[in-house]
Amino acid sequence: MKKTILASALLAASAPALATMNVVASTSSMGVLATAVGGDAVRVTVLAPPDRDVHVLQARPSMMLALRKADLLVAIGAELEIGWLPAALKGAGNAKILPGSAGYFEAAAQVPLLETGEAADRSQGDVHPMGNPHLYLDPVRMARVAEALAERLASLDRPNAARYRGGAASFRAAVEARVPAWKAKATGAKGVLLFHKDVNYLAALLGVPILGYVEPLPGIPPTASHLRELTGRFRGQKGVILFTDFQPGQGPEFLARNLGWPKVRLPLEPAVGASAEEYLAHVDRWVEGVASGK
Amino acid sequence: MKTPLVGAIEIALALVLSIPAAAQAGPDPRALEEKVRALEARQAESEEALAKLRAALAAPSSAASPEELQRRLEALEKEQAAARAALEALRAATSRREPGPVEPTGLVPKSLPLFGSSSEVSSGTSFNPSISVIPDIVWSRDDVKGEAGEILEEADGFHGAHAEEGHDHGHGGLDQGFNLRETEVAFTAAVDAYFDVQALFAVSEEGIEAEEVFFQTRRLPWGLQLKGGKFLSGIGYANAHHPHQWDFVDQNLAYELLLGGHGLNEKGLQLTWVPRLPFYMKVGAELLQGENEKLASDVGPEVLPGLGEEGAPRVLTAKSGPRLFTGFVKVGPDLGYSNALQVGFSLASSRRHQEVHDHDADGIPEGVLDGTATLWGVDAVYKYDSPRPWGAGDLVLQAEYLARKRDLDVLGTTDTAVFRQDGAYLQAVYGLLPRLQLGARWDVAGLTNERVRGGAKTEYDSSSRFTAALTFNPTEFSRVRAQYQRAEIRVDGEKESWGRFLLQLQLSLGAHGAHSF
Repeated sequence: MKKTILASALLAASAPALATMNVVASTSSMGVLATAVGGDAVRVTVLAPPDRDVHVLQARPSMMLALRKADLLVAIGAELEIGWLPAALKGAGNAKILPGSAGYFEAAAQVPLLETGEAADRSQGDVHPMGNPHLYLDPVRMARVAEALAERLASLDRPNAARYRGGAASFRAAVEARVPAWKAKATGAKGVLLFHKDVNYLAALLGVPILGYVEPLPGIPPTASHLRELTGRFRGQKGVILFTDFQPGQGPEFLARNLGWPKVRLPLEPAVGASAEEYLAHVDRWVEGVASGK
Repeated sequence: MKTPLVGAIEIALALVLSIPAAAQAGPDPRALEEKVRALEARQAESEEALAKLRAALAAPSSAASPEELQRRLEALEKEQAAARAALEALRAATSRREPGPVEPTGLVPKSLPLFGSSSEVSSGTSFNPSISVIPDIVWSRDDVKGEAGEILEEADGFHGAHAEEGHDHGHGGLDQGFNLRETEVAFTAAVDAYFDVQALFAVSEEGIEAEEVFFQTRRLPWGLQLKGGKFLSGIGYANAHHPHQWDFVDQNLAYELLLGGHGLNEKGLQLTWVPRLPFYMKVGAELLQGENEKLASDVGPEVLPGLGEEGAPRVLTAKSGPRLFTGFVKVGPDLGYSNALQVGFSLASSRRHQEVHDHDADGIPEGVLDGTATLWGVDAVYKYDSPRPWGAGDLVLQAEYLARKRDLDVLGTTDTAVFRQDGAYLQAVYGLLPRLQLGARWDVAGLTNERVRGGAKTEYDSSSRFTAALTFNPTEFSRVRAQYQRAEIRVDGEKESWGRFLLQLQLSLGAHGAHSF
């Protein structure tokens, strides 16, 4: 008995020290990346649960608590979290993870964005002039972000560099293995009618046209006249209405009824703590949703 | 089977061959960017071809021998890796481009993201501060001919501290009909790697007032932050909130009567510390100049006209600042994604508080007081965040208690007078529907309301108010609020009741920073 204890103690001592990095992810998708890249070498905390609209979240003391202890913050960026993340960062008083520091990582800064250069004019709704920030449903961009994240983690934690690069490479391989099947599945899809501009990247990847938005303007709830206009415009065509759990269902239901289209409601981001596989399964469901408008 | 293979190899070859030309392209960033995009598209095509080749290799019915296919696959993969590296180099080259001589660096949007960047993608032009302007328009109608604000200031036990000459009493008072309240104009930016600065001006029809102009450090270690300048003190919960963050049109009675409509807004230094603990805790201390007319006013040096009750002259001396010291602690346990709680305790101590009361017709003050003052308070906030859209189902419960003690010499006599007063409010705001909130507040001042002078105690009654507000936020940048309130204010022992209806329109232009908890 004593020997086993001693042996295991020795084993524990000889194993490479697992200096776990505290990674705070703004949303569960970013948490997936951190987990996929970091594996056991990182401890991941997610600030925003997938069933909340990240546009309108508020800073909470528990966010500040997590950020206070963070070695690295992984955000989606492009001002998606502007309503709460800067305040939470200010409240945390952690200089290591401020924008511009090595501990701040923003997915939107790693890959080209869609819809850049739109006028910064709020009469057009809650616009993001620097580009559409909802890149997390694009697995190809996510794979690229994972590679950038691996480099960042490697620079912060050199002993585990190989592990991070390996994690990103296998995430990329897993994504690449699925892309052809996703594209095949969506071939012939007539188009999607989205609630908000949050599935645009996936639609672009699959080559499926975006027919319109249930919201009249980004961040403005659907109005009766806008819904009537959409029904008039798409009557007789084929497509699918996609929306997520925190978006109100009346508008999509009205359109589905009047157009005879399927409507698909899915969580926008995977569950907190999801693995890479679960993220890809989550993308599978969205691809299925996009493809159902045939 | 041959055609896709040949096609794939052709594409890959074309890709590889085109790279040296692209890499040597002229410095025109637009052309480079286009090339990168074209390369990206072609790389995607070649990736597809590669996938087909892989599939062909896996299929047993392939026409070519597996060895041959394997060889081609490896060659293609090698070529693709080279292409990817070239694309990377090209991207880096475009991202590193120098701005032209007439291009101000801060105004050029990033043309392509920099792989591995730790900066944030922001629509703010980097070297200009974020600017926000918040106009606040209020329509008011009360049933006491517009005197509601004045009656409030005459509340027993709280009235008459005319500490500063010429101080206007416009904060609580609203004219019957339309009012343009202070427009908040705020500039915020990181000055450099070490400091953030916020400059917030309250612009009214009368003029412009520096409401908050302060720096805050960015890089202090161990969770320390230092703030300096003029700012809203960190005591209490409501104190640091600007009028545009209030859930009601007006300030609660506890703050209004114990600290003034703007709360504790002082010049000085604030040090806060967020230790690494299993729960959130923020500890802060402040050194403040001490100019709050209800807690820390320094009127002297002045020889006042007239004599005191015992025939002695009355002289107020001056004391150099800082004269007011505060400390606060806020604790927030981790309650998960839907619930948040924060409780706080605050203390403020002023080593100088002077009051000059009730000038008569000849300008001779009736009472002149000089001494010290202290204030302590507890606050608690609970928030429930519902997954329903646009704030529907969200709940915020908020309560504070403040107690103030003033220990003052009655100048011109040998008496001292000790005043003890307190105030509290309790409020709830619920998201009735998407974008529509219902708020209710009960506030009271003077639950303890006494003066002890020369061993004789005088007690005053408390004043209280009930307020209900319906707030509609068309977007997060605009707000329409309807508010009704009913107050019972004690003035000279008599109960004075009034009701008031308010309509408010608040608009937020420009880039306004996120609000803290």
